[in-house]
Amino acid sequence: MRILIIEDEVRLAENVATAFRDRYGSAVDCAHDGLEGFSLAESGHYDLLILDLMLPGADGLSIVTKLRTRGDATPILILTARDERAHVIDLLNAGADDYLTKPFDLGELLARGKALIRRGKGVANTVLTLGQLSLNSVEQTVHGDSQLVDLSPTEYRILEYLMFRPRAIVSKRELLEHLYDYRWEHHSNVIEAHVSNLRKKLRATGELALVETIRGRGYRLSVPEASQ
Amino acid sequence: MKTRSLTRTLTVGVLAAELLCAALFSVVAIAHEMHDRARAFDVMLNGRADSLLGAVQDAEDPDDNVVVDQTELVVPPQDAYEVIMANGRMVGHSPGSSATLLAALSSHTSFGYFNFMADGRHYRGLRKPGIRVIDRDENGGIRRPVTLLYAAPTSHLWHQAVEAVRFYIIAGVLLLLLTGVIMAWFLRRSLSPLRELAERAARVSTSAWEFTPPDEALHTHELEPIASSIQALLLGLQQSFERQRQFTGDAAHELKTSIAVLKSSLQLLALRERTSTEYALAIEGLLLDTQRMEDLTNRMLTLARIEQAPPAASASLETTDLSSIVQIVAERLYPAMQLHRVALTLAASSQMPVTVAAEDVDVLCSNLLMNAIQHSTPGGSISVSLSKDPANVRMSISDTGDGIAPDALPHIFERFYRADASRSRISGGAGLGLAICKGIVDRCGGSIAVTSVIGKGTHVEVIMPLARQSKVAQLHVATAEASS
Repeated sequence: MRILIIEDEVRLAENVATAFRDRYGSAVDCAHDGLEGFSLAESGHYDLLILDLMLPGADGLSIVTKLRTRGDATPILILTARDERAHVIDLLNAGADDYLTKPFDLGELLARGKALIRRGKGVANTVLTLGQLSLNSVEQTVHGDSQLVDLSPTEYRILEYLMFRPRAIVSKRELLEHLYDYRWEHHSNVIEAHVSNLRKKLRATGELALVETIRGRGYRLSVPEASQ
Repeated sequence: MKTRSLTRTLTVGVLAAELLCAALFSVVAIAHEMHDRARAFDVMLNGRADSLLGAVQDAEDPDDNVVVDQTELVVPPQDAYEVIMANGRMVGHSPGSSATLLAALSSHTSFGYFNFMADGRHYRGLRKPGIRVIDRDENGGIRRPVTLLYAAPTSHLWHQAVEAVRFYIIAGVLLLLLTGVIMAWFLRRSLSPLRELAERAARVSTSAWEFTPPDEALHTHELEPIASSIQALLLGLQQSFERQRQFTGDAAHELKTSIAVLKSSLQLLALRERTSTEYALAIEGLLLDTQRMEDLTNRMLTLARIEQAPPAASASLETTDLSSIVQIVAERLYPAMQLHRVALTLAASSQMPVTVAAEDVDVLCSNLLMNAIQHSTPGGSISVSLSKDPANVRMSISDTGDGIAPDALPHIFERFYRADASRSRISGGAGLGLAICKGIVDRCGGSIAVTSVIGKGTHVEVIMPLARQSKVAQLHVATAEASS
């Protein structure tokens, strides 16, 4: 999952970014002013925006409004030092999905962030299932027919992303953009190896799910006819 | 405390004045009436005495006696009279008068009018000489001198006078009552704009500052200044209230953010097991965060102190030499200048006394110089020059740094404003430095202005009134202590 943090307090942004990387292995980009943040958010590669309200350049509320006007549906979590009721109502009405007041609890921020990403993908349950394959996004574990599948962090993240969009074709570029931060192009060659490893491990479960490579278009996670 | 009613005071005052006038008028009228009546009375007494003389007849006896012929004499029954011959013999008196009255009448011996009391009544009497000529012929007849005494009671005089003035007294009392009623009504009516004004003013609260004085009050000569000053007062209060609220909000935001940094750093550390190297690094970071929070708190407290302390009280107390403080600050900031590879030229010679506390001058100079250093590009230069004229001290600080954007320039003195946020966050600024500078300069009645060209540099000009020379001598002690 790729996350954008727009926060002018550099130390705070770093802490939040590190927490998401450490806990979920997320790819995190940071922007320290409103204009830079908005231009990054516009690219649409993010699965979650974490936005401070008082920003130089453009304030958080106007960024939310602009993104929503453009039809961008990326989940937005607001960090604010103000907790007046009317203010919160304005934020949510403008299109923000959730908010936390500073000083917040880092664990809560991580959980809310995760929940927003899940909801953003149209999933309510923390356990994603496809056929006999189930993925627990909290424990970050994968089970194939109640048998634990041992995956590396990157393999897990690839599978998690694909499980949010089962049976859909996900391009290599999209996968890269959502799994890595702005330096994703450097990982372009590595991802094929990761996908290949993942495919092997899934095959070992007894073909409960398979990652197809569709030439020139990308990857697709599907359930073989036999096991359906 | 008992409240005083203006309406009541005014009504009572006017009525009392009116009552006094009416009483004075009545007394004067009665006195005048009495005077007139007394004169008429005297004339009447004289006339009756003359008619008494006419009744004196030659007695038909050889002794040249006279008698009073009472048959032709008509006088009021309560009057008393006596006729006394030259030899002292009384030849006649009023028949109905008591002996005591007659005795009292005749006891008066000098001619003219006189007052006396008899039988418990007041009388006014007249003693006058009269000559009765008998057998008037060519020789002139026989002259018989007599003394006439005539008296009449005066008690009815007073009653008559009061009777004559009574109309005016009644009219006066009625007028008094009428005035009272009209006054009460009129005052209530004409004071209604004041009541309205008070009601409107009472509706003002910290959440509803709106105050529009009633038109009536604005068009009333006496109320207009009150209405205007309430309006001005409320406007000032509202502005300072808003400023305070803004400041509290901003301060809360800054503090909460600082705490958020600390808290998230600690929680991040606790997310999983760390190596001792990681812990050491984290502690270093946490110490820096704490230091920043401390600086922020100090700056906010400085700003609060400068903006809240009454300007006159402390400003007039202390005199500080600007030029020596600038030199001290420049020495102190030398390491920072070396770090940024910035050169400083300082042009200050004579004493420049200003009426600002040494501590504040220090804060002013170090904030401005530190700004110049931080915004300078490596290899740049800063020039500080001090000059004075008979009234003012002028300090100019120019740098060859990156300058301030034109759209940021009008806001740089606002509290918590950062022209370049990410950068000041890194350098630890909270956007309070220039607000503090402005606070210090404003308090001593000076001015501060900033001009800037992007890419070329910034020029800050501070003008402060020159202090009287009296207290500068003490200053050297203070600065010597500060530098040691």
